[in-house]
Amino acid sequence: MIRYYCNKLFSMVIVLLVVTTITFFVSRLLPGDPTSLWVGDHPTKEQLKTAKKDLGFDRPIYEQYKSYMIGLLKLDLGISLRTRQPVLEEIGKRFFATFELVFVSMFFAVSFGFLLGLFSAIKQNSGYDKLISGIGYIGLSFPLFWLGMILQLIFFGFLKWFPLHGRSSGFEGVDLDSFAKTGILLLDSLLVGNFGLFANALMHITLPALTMVFGVFGLILRTTRSSIIETSQEPFFKTYLAYGVSRKKTIWFTAFKNTLIPVTTVSGLSFGLLLGGTFLVESIFDWPGLGQFSVMSILSNDFPAIMGVTLLYTTTYVLINFLIDLLYPLIDPRIRKINV
Amino acid sequence: MFRLLSKMYMKKASGTAFTFILFVALSSVLVQFVSPYADDLRGAVHLESGGQHPSLKHWFGTDAAGRDLFTLTIYAGLSSLKVAIAVVLLSVFIGVPIGMFSGVSSKKTDEVLMRIVDGFLAFPPLMLPLIITSVLGPSLNNVIIGISMSWFPWYVRIARSQAMIILSSGYVSVSKSMGAGKLHIIKNHIFPNSIGPFLVQGTIDAGYAILTAAGLSFIGLGARHPEVEWGLLLTQSRAQFLNHWWEVFFPGLFIIFTVISFNIIGDELRILTNPKERD
Repeated sequence: MIRYYCNKLFSMVIVLLVVTTITFFVSRLLPGDPTSLWVGDHPTKEQLKTAKKDLGFDRPIYEQYKSYMIGLLKLDLGISLRTRQPVLEEIGKRFFATFELVFVSMFFAVSFGFLLGLFSAIKQNSGYDKLISGIGYIGLSFPLFWLGMILQLIFFGFLKWFPLHGRSSGFEGVDLDSFAKTGILLLDSLLVGNFGLFANALMHITLPALTMVFGVFGLILRTTRSSIIETSQEPFFKTYLAYGVSRKKTIWFTAFKNTLIPVTTVSGLSFGLLLGGTFLVESIFDWPGLGQFSVMSILSNDFPAIMGVTLLYTTTYVLINFLIDLLYPLIDPRIRKINV
Repeated sequence: MFRLLSKMYMKKASGTAFTFILFVALSSVLVQFVSPYADDLRGAVHLESGGQHPSLKHWFGTDAAGRDLFTLTIYAGLSSLKVAIAVVLLSVFIGVPIGMFSGVSSKKTDEVLMRIVDGFLAFPPLMLPLIITSVLGPSLNNVIIGISMSWFPWYVRIARSQAMIILSSGYVSVSKSMGAGKLHIIKNHIFPNSIGPFLVQGTIDAGYAILTAAGLSFIGLGARHPEVEWGLLLTQSRAQFLNHWWEVFFPGLFIIFTVISFNIIGDELRILTNPKERD
């Protein structure tokens, strides 16, 4: 067990090291001059030179790499060229909006995907099964940005059920900072007992979360369904059926457990897909989070900011996959045995 | 190859998918010669006919600049297919040699290469294409480079596992015992025997390349005016799409159908090239 954990920890550290190195080299690939944004329009040669020195671009590449890595260990992500604030601070301001959106979407994607997959497998090859797996299959091929716009068109444009974009509206007077304990609007508004704000925030998160859920729940559905169907071909499963136990019951007591490992694995992948989805979904729904922030940074060539978000997203993704690795032996006793 | 294609054509789903891709390819090339609104492809502006509903005159309506959306949407297929083919070819050309080399190399070299590959795969999807393209600057060619640079590791993995499977088979040991070198084994045994998996992966990836490229164009990193691309058409409609549903609806539909078609063809190829799954 301990050896298994050490192994996983070691490979995670290596992956993080490689990832930060790749990010560093990508950021130095720049054909353009990142200093030009720093000094503004029409700079003099001296200005460019001092800016280059200030930002450290005049030093040899390995020295830049060294100071970059040391900076990372100190959580120093540099200074945003656009807003001139430390990138870490800019990220901190927007982190919870993205966290809320991704967390809510993840929760619904996994629970819907899993339950629908379960029902699909129980009623294998029925009309219901074909319909549900068809929708899941199509969801993976959907451009999320298109889906988001179509949802806006239907639910805001025609039906007027949901707000167009943003995180809340009409509550600007409420001082969020004074009670923002967790930074998660849905939770904070409940903690304070401001149910109006809670309802408002709920209305605002519905469409973006729905877009994200639709994009990934198919992956979980498909995995659940196929792993149950695979298990139902095993001899032990057929033995249960032969003894007269109903298919539904057998799935519930045996195949159900066998889905946990593959479903946990694809949950990790879905999490990554959701992180990637934030760039598109947040900019469509004007969600004040990291995805929108990166898109704005990209459009203004603000590389320290882009790299900061990249590092945060990738580290989170790597950590999540590490946590999933830690879960495996808890779920599956066979893994526990192999690695003793 | 021909037999494979004709077999695929016989099946209902993959036949339809194949026909659709063929239709997108042909029509996107021909539309500039046939359409009465071919000028629109070169950035013509007719503000007087802007924002029209779909009608017999303009099948998909017109955009704010009065361009015929049917002509634009059909023509945009060309850039998307270009991206799809280029991304897959580039990823294969970079990934496959590295993977096969890694598969036949010593354990140490293999380990180092795989760690680097793991690093590339550790980025959340869309992240790496996004930063590479943003660093290189917005253009369709940079999108191609950006996506390929982040997808080639998948091909490294497939090539490596294929190399290892084939390397452990009996006839390769015989070939080795007769003094065959690594290059010979790769060229004569490993490569010809692993075309199937690449074909499958390549086809499915072609669809996702289109999806990713459209996403990047949508953010503003890909194609730029006067280029025409599905994701770009969607971005251009953003200011007025709440009143002009047709500007969003049709280009998106084409993205979806194309991606699904590549998916269906890929799945069918997987079954056809794998004798175990054929029965």
